[in-house]
Amino acid sequence: MIAGAAGTLRDLQQRMRRIPIAWVGAITAGIVVVFLPSRFFLLDGRSHGDWLQFLGRFHPLVVHLPIGLILLLPLLELAGARRPALREAAGFVLQIALATCVISIFFGFLLAYGSGEMGGTVTRHMRGGVVLTLELLLCNIVRFSWGAGTLPRAYPTLLVGTLLTLAWTAHQGGSIAHGSDYLTRYMPAPMKRVLAPSAVVAHPESFFARHIYPVLDTKCVACHGTSKEQGGLRLDSYEALMAGGKDGAVIAPRNPDRSILLQKVTLPPKDPHFMPAEGRPPLTPDEIARIHAWVLAGASAETVSVPGIFIEEDREQALPPVDDYSALIGDIRQMQQSQGAKLVAVSATPSDGLILRTVDVAGSFDDAQLAKFERFAPFIVEAELGRTAITDASLETLSQFKHLRALHLEGTAVTGRTLGKLSSLSQLTYLNLSGTRVTSEAVASFKNVSKLRHLYLFDTPAELASPAAENSLSSAQ
Amino acid sequence: MKQHRFCSDCEDQTSPMDLSISGDLKREWSACETRRRFLGRSGKVLGWAALASLFGEAIPRGIAFAADGKVFSAPGRNSLGLPHFAPKAKRAIYLFMSGAPPQMDLLDYKPNLAAEYDKDMPDSVRGNQQLTGMTAGQARFPIAPTHWPFGQHGQTGTWVSNLLPYTARMVDDLTIIKSTNTDAINHEPAIMLINTGNMNAGKPCLGAWLAYGLGSMNDNLPTFIVLQTKTNPKENNQPVSSRLWSSGFLSSEFSGVGLRSAGDPVLYLDDPAGVDRNVRRKMLDAVEEINRQTLADVGDPETNSRIAQYEMAFRMQSSVPELTDLSKEPQSTWDLYGPDAKEPGTFAYNCLLARRMAERGVRFTQIYKRGWDVHDNVVGMLPVLCQETDRGCYALVTDLKRRGLLDDTLVIWAGEFGRTVYSQGGLSQDNYGRDHHPRCFTTWMTGAGVRPGITYGETDEYSYNVVKDPVHVRDFNATILHCLGINHDKFTYRFQGLDQKLTSPVPASVVQGLLA
Repeated sequence: MIAGAAGTLRDLQQRMRRIPIAWVGAITAGIVVVFLPSRFFLLDGRSHGDWLQFLGRFHPLVVHLPIGLILLLPLLELAGARRPALREAAGFVLQIALATCVISIFFGFLLAYGSGEMGGTVTRHMRGGVVLTLELLLCNIVRFSWGAGTLPRAYPTLLVGTLLTLAWTAHQGGSIAHGSDYLTRYMPAPMKRVLAPSAVVAHPESFFARHIYPVLDTKCVACHGTSKEQGGLRLDSYEALMAGGKDGAVIAPRNPDRSILLQKVTLPPKDPHFMPAEGRPPLTPDEIARIHAWVLAGASAETVSVPGIFIEEDREQALPPVDDYSALIGDIRQMQQSQGAKLVAVSATPSDGLILRTVDVAGSFDDAQLAKFERFAPFIVEAELGRTAITDASLETLSQFKHLRALHLEGTAVTGRTLGKLSSLSQLTYLNLSGTRVTSEAVASFKNVSKLRHLYLFDTPAELASPAAENSLSSAQ
Repeated sequence: MKQHRFCSDCEDQTSPMDLSISGDLKREWSACETRRRFLGRSGKVLGWAALASLFGEAIPRGIAFAADGKVFSAPGRNSLGLPHFAPKAKRAIYLFMSGAPPQMDLLDYKPNLAAEYDKDMPDSVRGNQQLTGMTAGQARFPIAPTHWPFGQHGQTGTWVSNLLPYTARMVDDLTIIKSTNTDAINHEPAIMLINTGNMNAGKPCLGAWLAYGLGSMNDNLPTFIVLQTKTNPKENNQPVSSRLWSSGFLSSEFSGVGLRSAGDPVLYLDDPAGVDRNVRRKMLDAVEEINRQTLADVGDPETNSRIAQYEMAFRMQSSVPELTDLSKEPQSTWDLYGPDAKEPGTFAYNCLLARRMAERGVRFTQIYKRGWDVHDNVVGMLPVLCQETDRGCYALVTDLKRRGLLDDTLVIWAGEFGRTVYSQGGLSQDNYGRDHHPRCFTTWMTGAGVRPGITYGETDEYSYNVVKDPVHVRDFNATILHCLGINHDKFTYRFQGLDQKLTSPVPASVVQGLLA
């Protein structure tokens, strides 16, 4: 046993003597580089020289060559068991992989140094690349022994190790280029819960959490986050945003014009200081307006609404789908023939619901007729009852139409005495009472309908009492 | 006996099924043949017309339900399944500025041009563009800055010419598109292109596509109505023809119904003296019977359209007088629309009618205002044109907004192209002219589906080329269809072996930046 080990060692020594001195030097240098503290990498967070950056940007291009070759390697070795010519080719591929790896590292360094990128992921990626090159170098050496049959395990083990290093390094590189959440962003929710618990933002209902953080997360964090900290600035939390970067604070509460962040995103896109840099998608005017208004309002982490900014919630999210009415289609059609009022599909998707349309029979459509439609209430999302003959009595019926999003009562005899009954319509976003005799007291009695965004009181006593009713309501949202 | 060309009884002739023609045409043929057999050999009983009338009235247009619970298509329709998705807009009103308004005199503010007065436009701006015959021969192309000052308006601070004081009041509601562009440089091809998606006549227009795809919202008024503004003889009025509201290869019941701008809105709508409503009804029943026999004999679906149109006309005898009776409009209406609105045929009057039609369930209203073709007298004519239209536009949008109609109505303002920054003919301090310009023009939309208070796209400093976010008229139309719940790429009609659509043949895309 001992003799065997000694024999192997002797054999290795013999082999080592045959290894050119340059290789030994390269291995030593590589090991030194891997264990150097990151400040020795000359990365200072500043960008340097156009030429360096220009060449450096070929790194993502060049780097795929060694990746492909390294992945090819085990295939060639395995297939070589049957076709010796392939195994012969593997040796050549291994050497090319090594060479291209060194070239990639060179370009990679130019990219990092030139663009001034720094941060944990960048150094990890860099170390990974060097380790990978070292492993390839060792692979090259032990492959001779493997071929000679002296070290049967060393080469396969090293090759597996190389592949693992490759995967890890490539992931680090991908995180730099596309952001650390690139793989997980569109992961299906159940998988996400297990694999990638999402970052917890304090005050999830706040304006910052709902409207500022998502902008920073999609547009800024790729360069100002855990993977990279350009300019010493991180934007992946409220605290980090307010702490600023090495040039000081980037947000000046109540003073948008002096907030560096806003200045940078509103520069002309061709300006060298424009953010997001490097041709990443710029902020939309809407996003800038949100940040501007939020800063103006004090840039608080907790505030829920910001004056002057009205953000329409996503329609699909806000409105739950209604049940499928397909089973009732026969009845729906019968209803149309007997009543003259129509039930019309909102769209080809049944869960979008039905519209109750009375325009052809408006003059004769009364409370009793409406009551006959109550059985379809779960599917009706919009009731067009303008200029019909319905009265206050119908509001009781309508309170059962729980899925109503829009209700047209314009030009009817509704007085609003029983308007409070509509408070039960939790999905109602649109209510048109124009041309009715509704008073402002009646309107006040049901203003707590949470989703109501558009209330029309044109040509009513209520409008005369407060001409800006619609405006004040919509701006308060 | 005369043999009909579709008759399949002539056994000695070569069958089309044996010919080397495309499978689509064969299917089309076999569909005709089946109908012939069905109609010809069932003893002239009901036939399609009768079927249509049995189903017809009760079926809500767009998506119709059959008794067996499956989505059912009325004869003459494919299974459209429209709208494709829940629409933001149920209806649209299109204010068409025929003749092409000069964008740099109204909404495309170019303050730098004042210093360029009478200088030659650099050749690099025009490139190798071929001009119209009206200015191609000009020795030079002197820049004509706008004659009128601009001001900033609204919270958005949008620049608007002083010629449009009313439009300026509503800029925060508008989606202004400065980068609209088209392919054609002359009126007829350009106006056909923006309306029908093709420079050549024969394709259905936007309104016809909407009528076909979405159907009517009411039984008593046409789905698609065209209002023409009466012309001002001092203006340079380019002709506007019914080709622009034609249904093309779609059934003619989808074409626009024009209301006249003077006198009776619909001619011969009143019953003649001595003919009462019952007599008229009996006459129509008899005509319908004859039409159905013709349909059974010939099998032309256009006969069906004719039957439907007679019925529509009968119902319009009561619905149109009610529509055009403005006596019950409150004073606030006249305060808003101005005195012009009391005179039938004016732009303001048509805008008021458009609002009334929106209330009554007309799907698509298109108002044509001619006279914008200001070739040689911009300073003289532009104030007149703006005075005629500015208040009506503002009144319509404001009226729709205060009545809660703008939440489900899309309003569109556009011409067929723009005008040149260089002067056509002589340039003086007092006057200048402007030629046709297809490379950029300014349009606006407002209401359901579009994002208010934005300006989309940019032109260069001469308002000559689009430099950012171009919106071709096909993209413009695709966006309009999107607002109405239609995917323009899926909304096709097979004709002449092609899946025809409003935005074909060059690919178009919905302009996401315009959407709310």
